[in-house]
Amino acid sequence: MSGFFATFCKELLLIRRDRAGLMLLFIMPAVLVLVVSLVQNNLLETSGTAVPVLLVDEDGGELAKRLTDGLQELGALTLVRQDGDPLDATAAQDAVRGGDYQFAIVIPPGLTEEVRSRARQLAEQSLAGEGAAAEPPLATAELAVYFDPTVQGAFRTAVLSSLRLVVLGLETEEKGKVLAELLPQRIEKLLPALPFGFGTPRPQLSFHWNSEPVLAVREQVALAGGLTKLPTAVQQNVPAWALFGMFFIVIPLSGTLLRERQEGTLQRLRTLPVSPLAILAGKVAAYVLICLGQFGFMLLVGKTVLPLLGTPMLEIGSEPGAIFFLALSAALAATGFGILVGALVGSYEQATMVGSVAVVVAAALGGVMVPVYVMPQAMQAISLFSPLAWGLNGFLDLFVRGGDLISVLPNAFGLLAFFAVTLTLAWIGFLQRNRRGG
Amino acid sequence: MNSTVVHSGPPADPLPDFQPLAVDGCEAVVLQVQQLVKSYGRGGRPAVDGLTFDVQEGEAFGLLGPNGAGKTTAISVMCTLLRPTAGSVHLDGIDVQAEPGRVRRLLGLVPQEIALYPRLTGRENLRYFARLYGLKGLELEERVADALELVQLQEHADRPVNSYSGGMKRRANLAAGMLHQPRILFLDEPTVGIDAQSRNLILDSLSRLRQAGTTLVYTTHYMEEAQQLCNRVAIMDGGRIIAEGEPAALIAGRAGCANLEQLFLQLTGSHLRDD
Ligand SMILES: Nc1ncnc2c1ncn2[C@@H]1O[C@H](COP(=O)(O)OP(=O)(O)O)[C@@H](O)[C@H]1O
Ligand SMILES: [Mg+2]
Repeated sequence: MSGFFATFCKELLLIRRDRAGLMLLFIMPAVLVLVVSLVQNNLLETSGTAVPVLLVDEDGGELAKRLTDGLQELGALTLVRQDGDPLDATAAQDAVRGGDYQFAIVIPPGLTEEVRSRARQLAEQSLAGEGAAAEPPLATAELAVYFDPTVQGAFRTAVLSSLRLVVLGLETEEKGKVLAELLPQRIEKLLPALPFGFGTPRPQLSFHWNSEPVLAVREQVALAGGLTKLPTAVQQNVPAWALFGMFFIVIPLSGTLLRERQEGTLQRLRTLPVSPLAILAGKVAAYVLICLGQFGFMLLVGKTVLPLLGTPMLEIGSEPGAIFFLALSAALAATGFGILVGALVGSYEQATMVGSVAVVVAAALGGVMVPVYVMPQAMQAISLFSPLAWGLNGFLDLFVRGGDLISVLPNAFGLLAFFAVTLTLAWIGFLQRNRRGG
Repeated sequence: MNSTVVHSGPPADPLPDFQPLAVDGCEAVVLQVQQLVKSYGRGGRPAVDGLTFDVQEGEAFGLLGPNGAGKTTAISVMCTLLRPTAGSVHLDGIDVQAEPGRVRRLLGLVPQEIALYPRLTGRENLRYFARLYGLKGLELEERVADALELVQLQEHADRPVNSYSGGMKRRANLAAGMLHQPRILFLDEPTVGIDAQSRNLILDSLSRLRQAGTTLVYTTHYMEEAQQLCNRVAIMDGGRIIAEGEPAALIAGRAGCANLEQLFLQLTGSHLRDD
């Protein structure tokens, strides 16, 4: 026990003295999350990436066709249509929920008809003047857009604004057409009743109709539980970069282990009457604590600093226990990886190289930098092997999809298993090195 | 320090003019090395090849030899760091290989490298190792203070080790090896590459430790040091002992040798050992 606690304190003291290490662990991920969150606000405009969107046309009318043409002309979206076997709204929603698509736009049956009638009604009402008794308004037609809850804000905004732009154009055109048709009739009706000359009464127009939509866009998250809270870029980026930062513990941790080996302190430790497991446990505990500190710090940045820069505030759901458990699992996984690298490499340069390259690759695969759904299919399959993907998935589940301890257990167990495997391999490496006497 | 000593090996034949340093009038074997062989990897020459010697309680035993003679390897086996390929080491009668845990409580090691955390201060380093020895509270602080005093580092105790000079680092390294008051202290070239003052201080500290009853096993390739400190030396080359005895007797027994250095060069040859 004394070996455990003494080592725990010693490691924390060593980290406290390591300015560069502290910067790497705490400042780097915080800076990254700030920069990336701000950069991603304009991601679509600058990169011109066309987001694939599943389009379901249940209307088949003229308006629906013009809507799709309009979207296509914008170029920001790639419309995917299932021509052979047309999908209905439910199937589209399932496709999004199942992760096949991030977006689906559903044009409901009868849309053309509904929009036309509503436009005519609005025009008629406005021509009848302010005082005219209004007939009960017809329902506004609705376009449904389904989202994967994990889709980042920037992508969502891009899809919605493209859609709204096209809808606005259609609406104005439709209203104008009806008005052009009705206005001459109305004028003719008024003209004979009056003598020539000044004072010709003009048709009374209420401009109320102009602001009244005939076609609405309804966003909906494709959630099994029917939750409609939408994820934000902050909710994606904060856990993503927090995990990235936690796994970067590999650099200072493997460095410490390597230095112990090279400077001979490990030799000294091995001649002391203390269990190597107690020393290892003390190290693990110290670095896990650091990782948890990093995670807490990143949540704080998401809650306090990011909103100051104009992003939405970080929402973390209502499961603090599950968040802690998942963060602890991720911290153990990161520490296990650091110990493995420290046990296997032979120089500080190697540790830095192997450690940072492995973490950056695992982060890229895990959807930290670019969301997994933007990746090609093959890469999406590979991303399942990244522990950062497990962690990120779990946190998105908690922050966004309303998940709880039970629903993140598979991700947490994955991370814990990773910890067990890395630590075992490191131990084998340690024993073999001892046997060789190096 | 009264313990029963198992002396199972054949009696070492004492050199004619060997005068053991008597502790309470009794000679007890603290370290017994028998036919020790250690090879790194298969094939190749063993680094230690059939080493046999005893060290009595209170002795300062010098293991001398050129680079690559196998001194560090021998010490590593005696300190439980390496498993012997063949042969045995008993410390206070306990088999080092069978019961490393018990043996580790008895021994202290001052390794060839500065085995300290450079970013921690001298005191923090000593405290950490003292806690690993199970010391705590007032006793721990006293032992740490004593160790710092022995090597004259009290004034620099709260500076990080990486700001120390080479000599200070060597002294701190020694302090870390003896602060738990081991029964036997192994020192692997503890004075290599340092200033004369620090070297003198270290040799002085070692004499004081020896007077206090600590048994010393000491490797070096500085012959005058060995002559000054050790009551008995063994000269090693190629993993074997080629001469053993009291320094004065060894020199006397060899024609044309005025000191240990000349004897050493005669025995090991004057060709370079760049390892
Ligand atoms: N870890 C090791 N692996 C392989 N060979 C080694 C190792 N350590 C030492 N040796 C070899 O064993 C021999 C003895 O080395 P060593 O015990 O360090 O000698 P000394 O301490 O007397 O200079 C040398 O030939 C050296 O090259
Ligand atoms: Mg050596």
